[in-house]
Amino acid sequence: MSVNRWLATGNFFTAYQEEQRTFLTNLDRLIFSIFLLILFTWPIFFPLNRTYMLVVDNILVAVIAVLGLNLVTGFAGLISIGHAAFVGVGAYTIASFSRVLGDSHILLTHFWLILILIGGLFGAIMGAIVGLPSLRLKHLYLAIATLSFQMIFEWAIKFLTFFNQGQTISVGRVMWFTGEIGRENHYLFWYYVTLTLIILLGFGIRNLFKTRYGRALVAVRDNDRAADAMGMHPGLTKVYAFALSGFLAGVAGAVHAFLYKGAGIESFTLHHSITYLAMAIVGGLGTLNGSFWGPTAIQILNLQVEKFSEYASNYLPSAMNLATALRPLTFGLVIVLFLMFEPRGIANWWRIAKSYTKTWPFRY
Amino acid sequence: MSYFFQIVVSGIVVGSIYALAALGLVLIYKSSRVANFAHGQIIASGAFITYALTVWAAIPIYISFFISLIITFFLAWSVERIFLRRLIGEPIISVIMVTIGLASIIDGLIYLTPFGTKNFSFPQFLPSEPIAIAGVSISWTQLAGVIITTILIASFSWFFKKSTIGISMRAVSDDQFASMSVGISVPSVFGLAWATAGLSAAAAGGIIGNITGLNFDTLHAFGIVVFPVVILGGLDSILGAVVAGIIMGLIQQFAGGYLDGNWGLNGTGEVLPYIILLIILLIKPHGLFGIHEIERV
Repeated sequence: MSVNRWLATGNFFTAYQEEQRTFLTNLDRLIFSIFLLILFTWPIFFPLNRTYMLVVDNILVAVIAVLGLNLVTGFAGLISIGHAAFVGVGAYTIASFSRVLGDSHILLTHFWLILILIGGLFGAIMGAIVGLPSLRLKHLYLAIATLSFQMIFEWAIKFLTFFNQGQTISVGRVMWFTGEIGRENHYLFWYYVTLTLIILLGFGIRNLFKTRYGRALVAVRDNDRAADAMGMHPGLTKVYAFALSGFLAGVAGAVHAFLYKGAGIESFTLHHSITYLAMAIVGGLGTLNGSFWGPTAIQILNLQVEKFSEYASNYLPSAMNLATALRPLTFGLVIVLFLMFEPRGIANWWRIAKSYTKTWPFRY
Repeated sequence: MSYFFQIVVSGIVVGSIYALAALGLVLIYKSSRVANFAHGQIIASGAFITYALTVWAAIPIYISFFISLIITFFLAWSVERIFLRRLIGEPIISVIMVTIGLASIIDGLIYLTPFGTKNFSFPQFLPSEPIAIAGVSISWTQLAGVIITTILIASFSWFFKKSTIGISMRAVSDDQFASMSVGISVPSVFGLAWATAGLSAAAAGGIIGNITGLNFDTLHAFGIVVFPVVILGGLDSILGAVVAGIIMGLIQQFAGGYLDGNWGLNGTGEVLPYIILLIILLIKPHGLFGIHEIERV
C-alpha cells in the first residue's frame, strides 16, 4: 500500500516504531528544515544591535536550561526549585578554570567546547548528588532538597574567597578558525554556538524518549509502583533524571559564562530558579517544544515589563523602582494563571493549531 | 562562660521565632498536604501591616498587633479561597508551584510599597535597658517576643487538641473521605487552616519586626529557613516545629558565635540549616516527631 508521505490526514500506524517517528510526514520535515534555515540565516539579513542580540542569546541559553528543567520536572515529575544553582555550577566551572589558569589561557580560548562539556559534567555530578534523597523520597521532599541546594550554592559562592565572594570572575574571549571573536561579533557568534547546541541537545532528548531510559522517566512520573513492577528502579531513575537535567543546566551555565565573559552570583539566585520554573510552566511541562515557547514568552514579557516600567517611571516619584516590583508580580501572575487556566502551557495551543491545520480545508 | 550563655539565650529567642513561623507551615501541611512556599511573604506582610497600623495610623501597638492578626487571618483565607480552592484534586506538583507563584506575586506587591526597598523600625514601647543577669543580657523586646510566642503556641496546641474545629482539622489531615462522610466540610477546613497559618505568620512577623527591624529581605528569608525547621521536626507535628525551631536557633547562633571568623569561614549560620536539612532528608526524612508514613519508592 502506498502511503502519502506528504499529507497524512490521519494516523495510520501499523507498527509502534512508526508512532515514535520524530517527523510524521515529509511536510513536517520540510517545515522544520525551513524553520531551521530561517533560524540560521536571519541574523545575516536583519542584523540586530547588540542589546537585542543579547536578548536573543539570553532566550537561547534559557532554552537549554529549561530543556533540563523540563526533563526533571515535566517528564520525570520532580519539582526542582534549584535549577539556577545547577546553571550556576556550569558557569562557575568555567569561572574556576579561568581563575586558576588565567582568563585567556589556551584551554579557555581554543578548547572552550570541551570546557562547555566539562561544565555540563559538573552540573550532572551535582545533580546526581542533590537527587540522592530521591532514592527514598517523593515530591515535596525533593522540592525542598533542591531548594536547600540552591541556598547552599548561594552561600558557597558568596562566602568562599575562591569564588571571589560573588563578585564577577571574568572569562576571556574565545578563538574561532577565523581568529579571536571580537566585540562586534561576540553575540552573533554565541548565537550560532547556542543554536547548534540546542539542535543537538533537542534531537538528543527527542531520541532519548524513544529508548527505554527516556520512557523509564515518564513511567516513573506516571506511576512509580507500576514502574517498579515492570523492573525499573524508580529511585535510580530519578537520580539519573536529576543528573541529566544537571548536565543540560551545566551546559547552559557554561555558555552563559562565555556569553557574558564572566560569572557572578546575581545571575543564579533563587529568583532565577523561579523564573526557569515559570518558563517551563508557561511553555508546557512535559512537552519538548514547550521548552522553546516558555523562555521566548517569558523573556519577551520581561522586556515589555522593563520597557513599560521605564515609560511609567517618568510619571512616578523617582525613588520607586517599578521594574523590581513588576517583574516578580508578572512572573507570579503568569505562573498562577497558567496553572489555573492552561496547565498544559503554550505547547497546548501549538498542538491545537497543528491539529486544526492538519485537515485544513476539510474540517470535521 | 557568659559568652556561651549569651549565645544560648539568643539561640532560644531566635529559635522560638522559628517555631512560631514554622507553626503556620505545619498547620497548612497537616490539613491539606501542601507546602506553602509563600509563607515568608505572609510573615512579611503581617509585619508590614502591624507597622502601618502602629506608626501611620497611630494605633497603640497592643491593639494594632491584634488587628493585624485579624487582617492577615482574612488575607490568608482569601488567598486560599481565590487561588488554591480551584486546585483541590489537581496533582500536588501544580499546587506547590501555585504557592511559588503566589510568593512571587506577593513579592511584587510588597515591592510596590515603600516596605520593599526601605528599612523601618518599630518605635520603642518597652524599656530599652536590657535585663542583665550574671553577664547574660536579654532585651525586653526579646523577652516579650518569647513570652508571646509561648502563649501563642500553647493556645494553638490547645486549639488543635480540644476545640471542635481543631479536631475536625486533625480529622481532615488523617483521612479526607472519612471526615467528609461524618459531615466535615473539607474545603472550609482548608480555608481555616490557611487563615490560622496566616494569623501565626502575622504574629511571627510582628515579633521579628520588633526585634530586628523591618527589612523585606530578612523577613521573607524566614519563609525559606522554616523549611529546615519543619523537616527536622517532622512536617506534620506542632511539637516537632517547636523543638526543631529551638534546636535550629541554637545551631545558628552557635555557628555564628564559634565557627565564623575561624578557619576562613563566614556566614555559617545561614548555610548550616540547609546542610542539616539535606542530611536529615537522607537518613531520617520524617524528622524527629513526624508520622512515619513516608512512601518508600
